[in-house]
Amino acid sequence: MAGGLQRSRVVRAFLRNRLGVAGGTVLLVCLGSALLAPHLAPYDPYRLDLAHAFQAPTWRHLLGTDNFGRDILSRLIYGSRISLLVGVVVVVFAGSLGTALGLLAGYLGGWLDLALMRVVEICFAFPFLVLVIAIIAVLGPNVVNVIWVLGLVNWPFYARLVRSHVLALRGREYVEVARALGASDARIMLRHILPNSLTPVVVASTFGIPQAILALAALGFLGLGAQPPTPEWGAMVSAGREFIFQDPWLITWPGVCIALVVLSFNFLGDGMRDALDPRAQRV
Amino acid sequence: MAAYALRRLVALVPLVFGVTAITFALLVLAPGDPVTFLIPPEQRGAADLAAMRHELGLDRPLPLQYVSMMRDLVTGRLRSFGDRRPTLARVGEALPVTLILTAASMALTVTLAIPIALVAALRPYSVLDHGATLFSLLGISLPSFWFGLGLIYVFTAQLAWLPASGIRPTGAAGYNPSLIAPYLIMPTIVQALSILPVMVRYARSSLLDQLAQEYVRVARSKGLLERTILFKHIARNALLPVVTITALLVPFLLSGSVVVETTFALPGLGQLAVNAALARDYPIVLTTTAIAGVLVVAGNLAADIGYFYLDPRIRDG
Repeated sequence: MAGGLQRSRVVRAFLRNRLGVAGGTVLLVCLGSALLAPHLAPYDPYRLDLAHAFQAPTWRHLLGTDNFGRDILSRLIYGSRISLLVGVVVVVFAGSLGTALGLLAGYLGGWLDLALMRVVEICFAFPFLVLVIAIIAVLGPNVVNVIWVLGLVNWPFYARLVRSHVLALRGREYVEVARALGASDARIMLRHILPNSLTPVVVASTFGIPQAILALAALGFLGLGAQPPTPEWGAMVSAGREFIFQDPWLITWPGVCIALVVLSFNFLGDGMRDALDPRAQRV
Repeated sequence: MAAYALRRLVALVPLVFGVTAITFALLVLAPGDPVTFLIPPEQRGAADLAAMRHELGLDRPLPLQYVSMMRDLVTGRLRSFGDRRPTLARVGEALPVTLILTAASMALTVTLAIPIALVAALRPYSVLDHGATLFSLLGISLPSFWFGLGLIYVFTAQLAWLPASGIRPTGAAGYNPSLIAPYLIMPTIVQALSILPVMVRYARSSLLDQLAQEYVRVARSKGLLERTILFKHIARNALLPVVTITALLVPFLLSGSVVVETTFALPGLGQLAVNAALARDYPIVLTTTAIAGVLVVAGNLAADIGYFYLDPRIRDG
């Protein structure tokens, strides 16, 4: 494999996709604000100041204050930490579990494959939010449980994806050669098949993160995710909801953040898919 | 027809089993003792826990417990912690709202998706096609609760055209279409927007597939009108996958209705599930989960039957 050449071709292909680059830029800014939150946020996101509640945007409070007088901009900056962290952790968790199971099922086949694919089918058929709510009802609503639950309901996507690639790669000549040379099943799976099945997983992850962020926000909005006063974007929309007639800005800003980050990830994912896998059909 | 439907129904049995088993596993795998989940808070501690466990059958093997829980659910012995009414009765009251909302969103989505997909497929990679793709990405990126609140702000707070919550005017009963319609307009739009992108993408690629088929070239070389080819020849073939995707979107819509019903305070299945989860009303949570599974199965069955009528290869074969 001509690694360097290949990589520069992929990078150039990606840079030609303007929306993908724009999405990536927005996400870099968002990542920066998440990492540097304590230095960037002008105020403590939890500090109440009832004397200055419902303020319109001013130089002191660039995006105004909420119903408790907390600085909205500071809360949004801290909120980016929660959303990005949850999105990434959920995808890493679901992606690794799904990849491992899909690899085993595809390579070993037999009853394991059969059983796993039935489970995957059932998970696909089920309305995931209904399932998530049922599990949250049992475990209790908080961000850590949301991560667990979203990871648990999302792995089937990765398992099915990896399995289909493994099935295609299993019969390839280079795999036969490796086997003839005496490579063990574990070695064939990990050294020969896995690296060649990872590109679609990376692309799928780029679309999985925004889905997890949206799910976290929806659960926060329903009161089943992050709990107040945590500055999570969905919970902020939920808290601002009763003031929709009085001060619509309270729900506007966190919603803009969610939409912007999710849209950027989707643009980035589109750009990465086209760059990494030019033959992939855009369905 | 009946035989075909029955065959499809039998094929869907594993799915019903799967969803109900997941529901059951939730109770068993949850931290703590199922007794504390199945007994209303005020009765806990009062009686002997072991006796209760025996009475609920929790000392029996798991498969037997599963069967008896399903029986309790179906016979209405499973009751809400809240008002002590059978969970099935509560779900039965909420179900029509969700069904009406789902049907209306499906109808709106299909009505919008097919013309959009046609425009995009007939001029692939044109400005209009790219516009449709961009719109799709926007559609899946907007949080539905936020979009819903935005609609409430404009159409209720500013214009006062539509009611923001509930399903019917206070004092009214039933599902009189003219009474409930204003309440359903905004929720339907929100639901439709969330699935429209998926539907458009499938319909577009399905149309593109058909346009590339040989029979289209034959029809063109016969000198048929482009309109005739499109509506008589292509539409029918291209719409089959759309029927499948409609059924596959049922679980998606049910997920969406959880959020949308909460946003617009619609007393449907989704709102019932959320309120039950917030109140730790486990019997209701279990029943709504199981009913959602049954609805998914029903959607699959409806798609199979739709196929039967649309595709002579299945009907006669």
